[in-house]
Amino acid sequence: MQASGTKLALGIYTTLFLVFLYGPMVVLAILSFQTGPEGGPQFPIIEWSTYWYKHLFGMTPPTRIAPLPIEEALVRSLVLAVMTMIVSTVLGVTSAQAFRKKFAGSGFAFYLIVLGMMVPGVLVGLGMALIANALGIDRHWWGTTFVLHVVYTYPFAFLVMLAILNRFDQNVEEASWSLGVSPMKTFRKVTFPLIFPGVLSAMLFAFTLSYDEFSRTLFASGRDLTLPLAIYGTFSVEVHPNVFAFGVLTTLFSFALLGTYAALMMLSIRRARRVAIQEEA
Amino acid sequence: MAAVLQLSQVTKAYGALRALDGIDISLPDNAYISLLGPSGSGKTILLRVIAGFEAPDGGSILFKGERVEAVPPHRRNIGFVFQNFALFPHLSVAGNIAFGLENRELNPITDSAVVRAKVKDIVALVGLTGLEDRGVAQISGGQRQRVALARTLITEPSLVLLDEPLGALDANLRTRMRAELRAIRERCGVTFLHVTGSETEALAMGDTVLVLDRGRIAQADDADTVYNRPRSAAVARFLNCYNLFEGQLSKDDFVSPVGRFPLQGQKADVRGQPAYAIRYDRISVRPLAAPVTAEEVRIEGTFIADEYSGAAINSFFSLDDGRVIEVESHLSQAAPQTCVPHGRYALVWKRQNALVYA
Repeated sequence: MQASGTKLALGIYTTLFLVFLYGPMVVLAILSFQTGPEGGPQFPIIEWSTYWYKHLFGMTPPTRIAPLPIEEALVRSLVLAVMTMIVSTVLGVTSAQAFRKKFAGSGFAFYLIVLGMMVPGVLVGLGMALIANALGIDRHWWGTTFVLHVVYTYPFAFLVMLAILNRFDQNVEEASWSLGVSPMKTFRKVTFPLIFPGVLSAMLFAFTLSYDEFSRTLFASGRDLTLPLAIYGTFSVEVHPNVFAFGVLTTLFSFALLGTYAALMMLSIRRARRVAIQEEA
Repeated sequence: MAAVLQLSQVTKAYGALRALDGIDISLPDNAYISLLGPSGSGKTILLRVIAGFEAPDGGSILFKGERVEAVPPHRRNIGFVFQNFALFPHLSVAGNIAFGLENRELNPITDSAVVRAKVKDIVALVGLTGLEDRGVAQISGGQRQRVALARTLITEPSLVLLDEPLGALDANLRTRMRAELRAIRERCGVTFLHVTGSETEALAMGDTVLVLDRGRIAQADDADTVYNRPRSAAVARFLNCYNLFEGQLSKDDFVSPVGRFPLQGQKADVRGQPAYAIRYDRISVRPLAAPVTAEEVRIEGTFIADEYSGAAINSFFSLDDGRVIEVESHLSQAAPQTCVPHGRYALVWKRQNALVYA
């Protein structure tokens, strides 16, 4: 009786948890199918339609509602996220590799790296803006913002790789050395293939964190806006369901990204068997 | 015989712990050497220093006449077989074996036909034919052991270090792999340095047996000498077949806590703490009243239990000071004295069979 009571309570708790977690997203998704252009971002749904999706792509007759000013912002955000992902992952992998051996000041260096994700974004963004002004550096999404995104996402990539390398069997590398293979080649041929799933995770972290970073970007990005800033900008006028339609599309994009990640993961796990088959052929 | 590897005064410390405390070894070419050491004796560290994974604090390592302390592992041409095999999990059996040939720094083989032919030869040598395309997770422990060995042997090292190579195998397989390892080594003509914590394995495998005790080589002899004449009480203890008594040497007696053991002209052997050792199978059990000759030593003990192991029976007796003495009786020689629990018996051995260290 006692156990089933606890079970029920936990069940209700979990359900509520899930409702609060996914509720906002579900509401957005539903409202994105509101009719337009007269339908607003509120219930009830007057009529189900895909008007706002068409509106997003400029496929509706012009009305007083301006199209979302996001095309360029989207491209900027994607390019920025890819740049950040590459740099942070390379930094994360190499520095985590360095941390496998204790070196003088390794403890200090560790906290220095991790600081990047601890410090409030607003402060870092503001600080960057002030420094840029003081030094006479123009603020751009590909400059000041990019640096801040790397500072922010690099610790995540670093920590992921640290956890992966922690479980890594060093004997495998030593075995390669004792076969006459140089440490560089050993890293390429043995270490990297084995830590590749971790590298994928680090990349995913860096990409998604950069893609919707707001507070740091707000101060550091100058004239040209990134996607999160552009969307926020539209709120200050009037909110139309076209923002929700866009939200649904970016969420789908994220799922596609996750799907790719999962597929790559599967491939890297199955590689042993694939290699076997190739050598047979 | 030319020495392939010579260590002199090699030391390595971790903080206050002297893991290697002045190691001197000379390994002959084309031989099977086993290195016996209890856990914590520094045997794995010694191997890692020889392979170059760890740098020694002092001393010199000569490999084929050249000093190698400063040479990185991949330029030493010393093979290493790990206890956990450390196979490359992302490669097939053939991929693992070919890895060294294809990727080594010094003249890698790029012609895949040559690689394939070499892999085929070595696969036949270690008995893995037919498994070349399997993943290394899809083969048994014994087969993995062979892959680890083949992967090393194909690069033709002059010395192969094996770190408890049979430790991860089950008992049955272990015995079979012992003979197999010796045969494979003979066919390749290289020197194997086989590290083990098992005294039976060390004695069975090695042309020469090295015994490591607290970071030093305590003995280096053939198996027969190590077994019959361990050079110190510590070596005798590792062999797991000697009863040891501590005590003092006084003129013609050895004074132990359980009584005086008369000696018979035995010269006290070598350094170390004084001890008197008598092998399990040199002791006979008799009724208390049985007569004793002049050459025999006699003590009394209370029977505790025995353990039957097929060819022999091991009996345990507790002496008056609480210590336990083990007696091994070979069943092929004579029916042993049957003992009643808690009964008192005389334990008798010939003076000349005892080893004395002082």
